Amino acid sequence: MSNYLSISDILVSNEKVPCKFLHDLPKMGFLDPSAADDDLKAGTNVEIPLWLAESLQSRRPPLVSVDLPKIYKDAYREILNADACTVDMHKLGQYFYELGCYVAKHDIKGEVAATLENTFKQRFRMLLSASVSTDTLSTMQPLSASERKRAAAAASSENALSAWLQRGDCPLTTANMVANHRKRKRAEMEMF
Amino acid sequence: MDPYEIEFLGENRIISVIPNFSYDKIYLICGEFGPFRAGLPLNVPLWLAIMLKQKQKCRIVPPDWMDLDVLENIKEEEKRSRFFTKMPNEHYMVEAKLILGVAAEDVPNSSEIKTIIKDIWDIRMSKLRTSMDALMKSGGSYGRLDHLTLMEINSVKPLLPSAMDDLHRIRTTSKRPTTASLNTSTFSQSGSSQNI
Repeated sequence: MSNYLSISDILVSNEKVPCKFLHDLPKMGFLDPSAADDDLKAGTNVEIPLWLAESLQSRRPPLVSVDLPKIYKDAYREILNADACTVDMHKLGQYFYELGCYVAKHDIKGEVAATLENTFKQRFRMLLSASVSTDTLSTMQPLSASERKRAAAAASSENALSAWLQRGDCPLTTANMVANHRKRKRAEMEMF
Repeated sequence: MDPYEIEFLGENRIISVIPNFSYDKIYLICGEFGPFRAGLPLNVPLWLAIMLKQKQKCRIVPPDWMDLDVLENIKEEEKRSRFFTKMPNEHYMVEAKLILGVAAEDVPNSSEIKTIIKDIWDIRMSKLRTSMDALMKSGGSYGRLDHLTLMEINSVKPLLPSAMDDLHRIRTTSKRPTTASLNTSTFSQSGSSQNI
């Protein structure tokens, strides 16, 4: 997964994860904005970037214990398992899947992996509808960064296809009766 | 791939025309065609047929499947079947669009045929969408693309393969190598074959 040259991977590893420091660290108080002391006390909970957390945790002995970001916790997992399509990933976790892959190994119960997969499967429908929707603004809004990228690619090929179908002196068009069907008319009216 | 590139590929299909001029054999990269005898049908590539038609040099003989009854049957079949049915032609959409575009007067009932082909296309596209969603939901690791034409496969190309790649990546990287994750590994092995 980790790719040294991938910009998005770098951005993902810059996401903050909550960590608990296991040892007293002299002169590291600046890591905790609320600390008055120069030294960082053991047991402090601080949010630090993933790349820092991973390297501190892999030391022997580990300096921190990594906790799950809140969107991977039980409360949010329940929402995601119930209906992932209602969640606004853009607000909650831009890099939900990518970060999830990294933090899944810190999950003791091992349920994050299943949630990630389940969420991805459920939200695939949103990608489909975003790629054909005329109202791109509202359908693209709740997608995470990688989902947006994929939906945009799908939408552009969809546009190319419909442009091809429309082209020419006598394009193949839908029958009037079908086009005037209530559902379709409404979709077109919502466009304007 | 761009739809125009697929149109280009589809233009190589052989189609029957009745020229209204006489000419010797012509030698093309894709083969030799002719000799042209006025009034006698002969086979040429679709692009050549379109070009001749645009110059009013020939009449296009519509392909066998471009017939109201045949298409009606295909449409019914397509509606009834859960899976994709075999299309009469790998490039049916390209052929229909080009022929009906330049030579609508050579095809009997051209406007009805136009509508029915578009209907078939719409049915197939919506079927494609629902089966893509079902494939993802069921967690299948592969989909069979029987009887899908190039244009249809191309329309899902930017979405489906990359989504399945990502799903695979999520499965492999998020799974913990320890025994504690046994419950998730059974989950990912349940990939079923899904006819897409």
